[in-house]
Amino acid sequence: MHWDIVFRNFDYFLIGAYPKGPLGGLAMTVILAVGGIFGAFWLGLGVGLMRISKKPSLRWPAMTFIEIIRGTPLLMVVFWFYFLAPVVFGHTLPEAESALIALIVFTSAYIAEIVRAGVEALPKGQMEAARGTGLSHFQAMTHIILPQALFNMIPSFVNQFVSLTKDTSLAFIIGVNELTKAATQVNNRTLTAPTEIFITIAVLYFIICYCLTEFSRYLERRINRYQARGR
Amino acid sequence: MRNAARLTVLACLFTLVAAMPALAGKLDDIKSRGTLVAGVKDSQRPFGFVDEKTNQIVGFEIDLMQALADRLGVKLELKPVTSSTRIPMLTQGAVDVLAATMTHKKEREDQVDFSITYFMTGQKLLVKKDGGIKSVADLAGKKVGSVKGSTSEQNVKKAQPDCTVISFETYPEAFLALKQGKVQAVTTDESILVGIKNSDDKPEAWDIVGDYISPEPYGLGVPENDSKFRDFVNLALMDMWAKGEYQKIYEKWFGKGTKDYIPLTWKMEFWP
Amino acid sequence: MAYQFDFGQVVSGEYGQWILSGLGVTLQISGVSIVLSLVLGTVIAVLRLSKVKPLVWFAASFTEFFRNTPLLVQIFFWYFGSYSVLPESVNQWLYARDFEFACGVIALTFYTAAFIAEEIRSGIFSIPKNQLEASRACGLSFLQAMAYVILPQAFRVIIPPLISQFLNLIKNSSLVMTIGVMDLTYMARQIEAHTFHGFEAFTVSTLIYLTISLIVSLGVNLYNRRVLHVRSR
Repeated sequence: MHWDIVFRNFDYFLIGAYPKGPLGGLAMTVILAVGGIFGAFWLGLGVGLMRISKKPSLRWPAMTFIEIIRGTPLLMVVFWFYFLAPVVFGHTLPEAESALIALIVFTSAYIAEIVRAGVEALPKGQMEAARGTGLSHFQAMTHIILPQALFNMIPSFVNQFVSLTKDTSLAFIIGVNELTKAATQVNNRTLTAPTEIFITIAVLYFIICYCLTEFSRYLERRINRYQARGR
Repeated sequence: MRNAARLTVLACLFTLVAAMPALAGKLDDIKSRGTLVAGVKDSQRPFGFVDEKTNQIVGFEIDLMQALADRLGVKLELKPVTSSTRIPMLTQGAVDVLAATMTHKKEREDQVDFSITYFMTGQKLLVKKDGGIKSVADLAGKKVGSVKGSTSEQNVKKAQPDCTVISFETYPEAFLALKQGKVQAVTTDESILVGIKNSDDKPEAWDIVGDYISPEPYGLGVPENDSKFRDFVNLALMDMWAKGEYQKIYEKWFGKGTKDYIPLTWKMEFWP
Repeated sequence: MAYQFDFGQVVSGEYGQWILSGLGVTLQISGVSIVLSLVLGTVIAVLRLSKVKPLVWFAASFTEFFRNTPLLVQIFFWYFGSYSVLPESVNQWLYARDFEFACGVIALTFYTAAFIAEEIRSGIFSIPKNQLEASRACGLSFLQAMAYVILPQAFRVIIPPLISQFLNLIKNSSLVMTIGVMDLTYMARQIEAHTFHGFEAFTVSTLIYLTISLIVSLGVNLYNRRVLHVRSR
């Protein structure tokens, strides 16, 4: 076993060539994941609200978007934004940005479904009661429905964040210098310790994702208890 | 909510700025920007690879690009590319120039332009020493490792239709597959094979065999139809050769004292 | 940039053949992995519900580990990393065969099995607890009670989530191209490298993935409506 190779390159796995060179490794993975969930939340919220709207002109585009994205492998979405968006838009995007946009667009379709499920799970009477007190549809949505629905769906958002964190590894294929890319670079240079290197980065990903998963379970228990008390 | 609105405005502005068409040629672009963005390999010893001590990309092609940047009077910025991403990256303008072990092929002329040849090599086979494979003919029924989007992948299929080509993202991965016995040979340019062989702990266990399957002249990739920039690159290369700067860089990476010794047996094209 | 669209070149002749053979490999690798992951997932779920502590512990760590690491890293681990773990003779035996395909199947199976195990477990939880107690009281062993009473009922409820896991598996199978399995995504990239008509190649393969997904989700909706009598909105 050649664990020394892992130890010698551990700083490269964590932060890439930083501070003398560009930031990479696990730090880049975290940036992609956090930036991705932030962007996907807002986009997904918008699409999700369009999806539950009564107006067909809003509902249909949202449905089409959700079905197309959820029916396509993420790798294809990544390729689309990287190789093909420039053919359409006529200019290029740097790899990290292009990967981030692909991750946001991909994840937002799943977020939209979570938002929809959250709103639909609330009793119908809530909306009617809110409207009855004189609130507009929009006001009822932002003040009554969404706060409850989003609160209930927090565990699902965290789970989606776990998926997104794992999905950032695909950015490696278009050359973004994140954790998986750092691992293949070191593996390609040394060629003696693939087992050790891939176990190490698997464990790094695992630590992040497992903590998040446990956090989501904890939140779920808290929310269930909170709701049980309310009833 | 206000944050989201601000972000949207920012995103729109960013798109607008990025969408502004490049009015001037590449040469003016680079000078006004103050940086030359070069697409290079990052796991291709000795052409371009990450140095273990400094974690920076170094290599023969990087030094060549540094010399080019010096002539332009600008800073050099490196972007790692692979054999399958390099041409799209150049056509989309993500890089100004490609120095990424790219063979000057007629088919590629539709997408990009090439400089004069800056490195001359040919495709061969890397095999286990005394493993019974001496030429392409011995590859019948065997698995051969290569890289996606490379010329070698296409050439070997033509030269030996009876072999199975397994394509990886990078050459070191193909070599790792050879070391572990998953493929029986790796095929690509001799210069790359030398680098791969010497990156191993036991270089003497491997052999580079066979006649040239095809000649592989490397050219720097430059954007299509920008003759001002291409002329500058060509003249810069010739100037490096005439002043002995090219030879110095060559000596540093391929000279007798190095692990990757390849004698300099060809001459650069020279316009009087 | 002027770009000449040329779908004819990609869908007909040699390149059309490539797309078809890529689709064949995608369906094959997905089919094999679906069957294996269903079997493995069921076993893991049953182990986790058994009363034997080491088995429960093993099943739980299996699920947590494979669910919480990226599939791509798992694929690399099986392909490059299994070398120093397995004995040399086993390696050589494997390498003489279609090792790339086998690694793809193993990675997809383990990854998906972890998710399937969770789905099955929650399906089993949805069956009232006294059913198991009642079957045990009738003299059935734990495994018999699982196989004849609990699992058949659980599967009825979890078929829709299971199918969406299978759909994920088909989409995830696009990652096996990184180790040289010539699936649909691999072929799209090959065509891009040969013709530089990536746009068309990627469009065609995206449409194929989409068609598969849509057919499957239509099937799930039908099942929901006919068998479970749920109306999807």
